[in-house]
Amino acid sequence: MVSFSSLEFLFRFLPIFLIAYFVVPAKYREIMLLIGSLVFYAVGEPVFLLLLILATVMNYYMGMKAWELGEGYTVQPWRLQKRKQIVIAAVVIDVLILAAFKCLSAFVDTALLPLGISFYIFKMISFQADILRGEIWNKPKFKYVALYFTMFPQVVSGPIMRYNEGEFDLDRTCGLEQFEDGLKYFILGLGMKVLLADRLAILWNDLQMIGFQSISTPLAWLGAAGYSLRLYFDFWGYSLMASGLMVMLGYDFIENFNHPYASKSISEFYRRWHVTLGSWFRDYVYIPLGGSRCDKKRIALNLAVVWLLTGIWHGNGFNYVIWGVVLGIMIILEKLVYGKYLQKIPILGNLYVLALIPLTWVVFAITDLKQLGIYFGRLFPLFGDAGIAVNQQDIFKYLSNYGIYLVAGIILCIPAVSGFYEKHRKNPVVIVLLAIVFWLSVYFLSSSAGNPFMYLNF
Amino acid sequence: MKWIKKCPTLTILVILGLLFTIIGIVGRFTVYADQEYDPLKAPVLSVMFTGINDDIYPWQIFTGKSSEAMAQSTEGNETDDTLQEVPASTEIPIKEQEESTIQEPSVSANSVSANSVSDNKIDGKEEEIPLERLKPLRESTHEEYLNHISADIYGDAGVVRAAAYTFDTVDASYFDDALFIGDSRTVGLRDYTDLSEHADFYCETSLTIYKVLEENFKGLGTIQDALANKDYGKIYLMVGINELGRGTTEDFMEQYTLVVDTLHQMEPEAKIFIQGNMRVSGKKNSGDAIFNNSNINARNNAIATLADNQQFFYIDVNEVVCDEEGNLAEDYTFDQIHLLGVYNDLWKQFLMTHGVLD
Repeated sequence: MVSFSSLEFLFRFLPIFLIAYFVVPAKYREIMLLIGSLVFYAVGEPVFLLLLILATVMNYYMGMKAWELGEGYTVQPWRLQKRKQIVIAAVVIDVLILAAFKCLSAFVDTALLPLGISFYIFKMISFQADILRGEIWNKPKFKYVALYFTMFPQVVSGPIMRYNEGEFDLDRTCGLEQFEDGLKYFILGLGMKVLLADRLAILWNDLQMIGFQSISTPLAWLGAAGYSLRLYFDFWGYSLMASGLMVMLGYDFIENFNHPYASKSISEFYRRWHVTLGSWFRDYVYIPLGGSRCDKKRIALNLAVVWLLTGIWHGNGFNYVIWGVVLGIMIILEKLVYGKYLQKIPILGNLYVLALIPLTWVVFAITDLKQLGIYFGRLFPLFGDAGIAVNQQDIFKYLSNYGIYLVAGIILCIPAVSGFYEKHRKNPVVIVLLAIVFWLSVYFLSSSAGNPFMYLNF
Repeated sequence: MKWIKKCPTLTILVILGLLFTIIGIVGRFTVYADQEYDPLKAPVLSVMFTGINDDIYPWQIFTGKSSEAMAQSTEGNETDDTLQEVPASTEIPIKEQEESTIQEPSVSANSVSANSVSDNKIDGKEEEIPLERLKPLRESTHEEYLNHISADIYGDAGVVRAAAYTFDTVDASYFDDALFIGDSRTVGLRDYTDLSEHADFYCETSLTIYKVLEENFKGLGTIQDALANKDYGKIYLMVGINELGRGTTEDFMEQYTLVVDTLHQMEPEAKIFIQGNMRVSGKKNSGDAIFNNSNINARNNAIATLADNQQFFYIDVNEVVCDEEGNLAEDYTFDQIHLLGVYNDLWKQFLMTHGVLD
């Protein structure tokens, strides 16, 4: 049920929750959302709900201690010092919780990674840091803080909203038009996830089924392109669903993706891809380390730290570390060496991004380093081993099976397409198309029982 | 009206949702009665979508069941429905076929002992009289049907009998007049060995025994077209995993018998190789209520009884791709079901040591 693209969520949890949310008087809606969020989490992770609640209470308690030390017209230095110490202690505890569970899942059992912990712990750290920086203007109430950490649209996979962006103190208006807008974002996200990402996921599964040693070089590149699009629509689709839900409930839209594949450099790509994670690392790691206002060596070090942490954050395999390090190196080189040329010469930057990013996603995708080596051998056959039992014609088969999804994906990567939608989103034709996308998605979810592989025919 | 004006998308979704729910509820009592449905996990409207996926459309509530829907509901004796579909597409006098199959003398279940097997057959090549088809030892129970358990109603007598045949080792040119029919496993054999340079392949992902005779294979036509265009000396068949969750062993066996007999009738000179379905890996086997080796073995045991070691042969590639426990070897597969491309060569080598020379 914790997946938005599941029949249980769409037809059981969501309608019941929405009715409850809008039936209760406006002043109880936050409480209703909090209850709904706890129920949502409990269904997905009954055991680790306790951890979420404990971490919430701890962060609220320490945050309030820090907040109180910063209150008043004149604040003595010792109070500021103490406030800083409390915030640091809270952040350290948060990091330790995250690190401990990451280690448990890496070395003991993957089931020991609590649902959404990477996301909600990052929210908690940002909450503490924002208190220290004085970016939270009104003293937060417990119900708002608890809601911020646990709200179901964001608790599983973000976006990593900031406390202020929730605008919890304002009177929330939940107009019909806003609900309609949110619903449309949600449907778009659902369609991207179910109709594109889940279909393209089968392409990647097919390549694994064949075995990387037996795929032709063109198919290896098609696979890399397919995986890049799959990951994008999976996560962009998810983020649109999450933000669409937030809009339906009366909150602001949180942008998490801004056409990354139209970028002209890797650093620009990561300002547009998973925006809330990138800005989190920028605000809470990169800038505190000194950011770009230092000498070249220090900038390189700061970027290296950020990207190493980004790699580790994404997963347990060593491939994620390689992925982060490779991206870090490319971004450092862009910043210090060739970035300016990419911006000056048109198209060059785009080609650079479109050629390199899929290769980095291959590193991201393949956790087994031996298999990763084989895949790169197939991508670059001149430098790697020759394949075994390769079918040189395979590309035609997979193009005919998946071409339509690849083309649709590429079209949706063009920023102008989004602009066109925004302009015409109230057009009856667009509305009918959205309804078709919704029911087509339900068709796929029904016929595959939510898992595209589960009833895959043999 | 304010709602419709301000929330047209929501309005359309709600109206269609209600309509589909009504279709789902009415369909539950009629055309969708056989669709599995868990009210806790899915809305009732989802049965309409799962039905459409099985080619059962909502308007059939008014027009009656489709032939496909009939084939779907395989509970009980629906022989006539299934059989009536076939003559139109195959133009074979199936009725006679059916009678001959049914009236065929069979070894009684109890007499299939090790002794009778050895009496019947020591060396297939010397044997003049074709082996008789075996009868099931028992019937599938209703409980087995409900739980998608393929009952092992034949035991391994057919497999033991078929295995007694001494096959010949052949070279690749042996397959020049061979036709392979199968599902995605056979697609792997076609795409990742050089057998396709010799043999013709009519195979497609998700092929079932119920579709074999009617299927229009992309760019190739039907099996009937294939047999009309070329004289085949061998027909290899591996079908049966996709329909594991459907019907009973009896239902499957009935259709399988019909298919091999139809193929035989269309190409009387061809030797028909009934291939036992490849098993799944241990991981899949232990975690899947339908696609597990117990079900696969039960159905393989059933189709093995069709071997007469003269025109119909039963061969089982599991001999070379499984581990000691009889599961598809983990190293040979990624998805626990299909051979990795490179290991299809094991299958090819197996076929080359299981030829039948005149």
